[in-house]
Amino acid sequence: MTISFSRTALLLPLLILAGTAAEAQNAAPTATVIAIPPLATAKNVDTDAGTTTWGLANQISDLIIADLKTTDAFILADVSKVRIPSYPEVTAPAYSQWRSVHAKLLLSGFVNARDDGRLTVGCYVYDVQTGRELARQGFAVSPNEWRRAAHRCADAAYVKASGKTPQFDSRIAYIAESGRPESPTKRLAMMDFDGANHIFLTDEQVTVLTPRWSPKADRIAYVSLTGGAPQVRIADVSSSGDRPLLPPGSVSFAPAFSPDGQRIALTISLNANSDIYALPVDGGGPQRLTASPAIDTSPSYSPDGSRIVFVSDRSGSPQLYVMDSDGSNQRRISFGGGDYGSPAWSPDGERIAFARSQGPLSAVGSMAVDGSNERIVTTGPNDEEPAWSPDGSRIVFQRQDPATRRTALAMVPAAGGEVRSVLTPQGASDPSWAERQE
Amino acid sequence: MRHSKLLLLAAALLSGSAVAEAQVRFPVIIPLGRSQPAPPPGMAPAPMGSPAMLQSDLVMKAGGDTVYFSAHGATLDAIATASLAAQARWLLANPFARVRLEGHGGANDSRDYALAIGDRRANAVRDFLISQGVAPPRISTSSWGKERPGTVRIGTSIVATGPRVVTTVE
Repeated sequence: MTISFSRTALLLPLLILAGTAAEAQNAAPTATVIAIPPLATAKNVDTDAGTTTWGLANQISDLIIADLKTTDAFILADVSKVRIPSYPEVTAPAYSQWRSVHAKLLLSGFVNARDDGRLTVGCYVYDVQTGRELARQGFAVSPNEWRRAAHRCADAAYVKASGKTPQFDSRIAYIAESGRPESPTKRLAMMDFDGANHIFLTDEQVTVLTPRWSPKADRIAYVSLTGGAPQVRIADVSSSGDRPLLPPGSVSFAPAFSPDGQRIALTISLNANSDIYALPVDGGGPQRLTASPAIDTSPSYSPDGSRIVFVSDRSGSPQLYVMDSDGSNQRRISFGGGDYGSPAWSPDGERIAFARSQGPLSAVGSMAVDGSNERIVTTGPNDEEPAWSPDGSRIVFQRQDPATRRTALAMVPAAGGEVRSVLTPQGASDPSWAERQE
Repeated sequence: MRHSKLLLLAAALLSGSAVAEAQVRFPVIIPLGRSQPAPPPGMAPAPMGSPAMLQSDLVMKAGGDTVYFSAHGATLDAIATASLAAQARWLLANPFARVRLEGHGGANDSRDYALAIGDRRANAVRDFLISQGVAPPRISTSSWGKERPGTVRIGTSIVATGPRVVTTVE
């Protein structure tokens, strides 16, 4: 995918955006009214995507709408009585008609067939009230990648309206579960965040656990459990490569990429003592970060890479601790009742998500990085293994139905709210979610 | 009269009880057909067989192949040490057998923590067996975290057995 438009045109709109972002913060949580008419096409021709450019234009606008509906940042303007923009109108909107449907933002665009068989998809975000262009994005994509272009267009609108980072051109890696609960079959799987393009990355022979995306969503660190010997492996999603991170015989688990994608923090058990180490992904010796005789595990980097949150039972029960990424300044941050586990540092660096087990219940929540302001957002018999959405607005986690013992993925707004199911072909656990970059 | 006494003596010598008495009196009786050292008290070696047969023999003679732990514990309580002492005697009686110790976490543990504490529990059992005289190369350890939640049926309900180490003959 390539960006085919000049970015210089963005300079002026960015200044305007600074103002609108401030407004959005003051007005929060008021949603933005956005008009999304069908995309236009210069010439309706057949494509290799199974439909014409006009058909794709409608599918893309439908997908953009579906993406934006998964957040509470937007209210969709009723565009059914508004004239569909012609191709020239994509870059010269008739602002008065969008004002008439009370839209604050307009997202319009086009789909054209290229001579090389690919498609050009362009989309534009306008501030209807001021009559200004806020953003434009263009993509050259193969016909079977039109969904990515739609997700990127949705991201353009989302970023302008919410001030957050993109999240729709993203993938969820997780563990697909099937078979008997006593000895389930567990396979590494990934899909687009909306469930499209689902594929399995490992076979049924080996139990696998805890996939973690690299920051660019091109590699997955995970654990294989051949014969009860946990070992961290690295799967390269684009090349289908898959290799162990450490030499055979070492017991390693709980991997996490550093924000620059260059290092992995993980747990290595040496002489029956689990400690946290970090090492370069592409070769190099592990550096030991913790040395307590207790269990230290589940590292997660802060987004600036300077700190690591982890789990230790040095106090007698599993609790959350934060340290500098060289292992110094270790201090406990969780002091609520019960056991804490599976910490995940938020994309904005402000909070740490966790699972908290107390008696028969297991809750998912988050706390400030100093341990204050703890907030539980879900409670169930088995709500576990939280991960952040790429923009930090939501937490995806696993939830087990106590009756069927089937585990599935669900997501909840990070501030709390309605829990929504994430559909997967089989049972699902251990989610990890990342925005694609290329 | 003299004849009859001789006959009686001969009959007594031929009878089993007389032979047994004679053996008790003469401490030169050597057990035949036995070249291995005697097993520890109360423990006979297993018949040669498949790992599954050896596993059954371990369970039968040591009274079990599984020891249990508290929620965050990796220390052995009295029941566990008694069971493991019997397992160690079985291992000493069967010097050809090798075992893999499979450590498990509990259902309420996080996935990572369950792997760590399963590993810790397996190693606690390993250390104990070595302290009882079992040679370290005969013991390997593993951790299944919470990926193999063992279950037992009690009446109509299924109960997870959770934190435990299972000794598996290889």
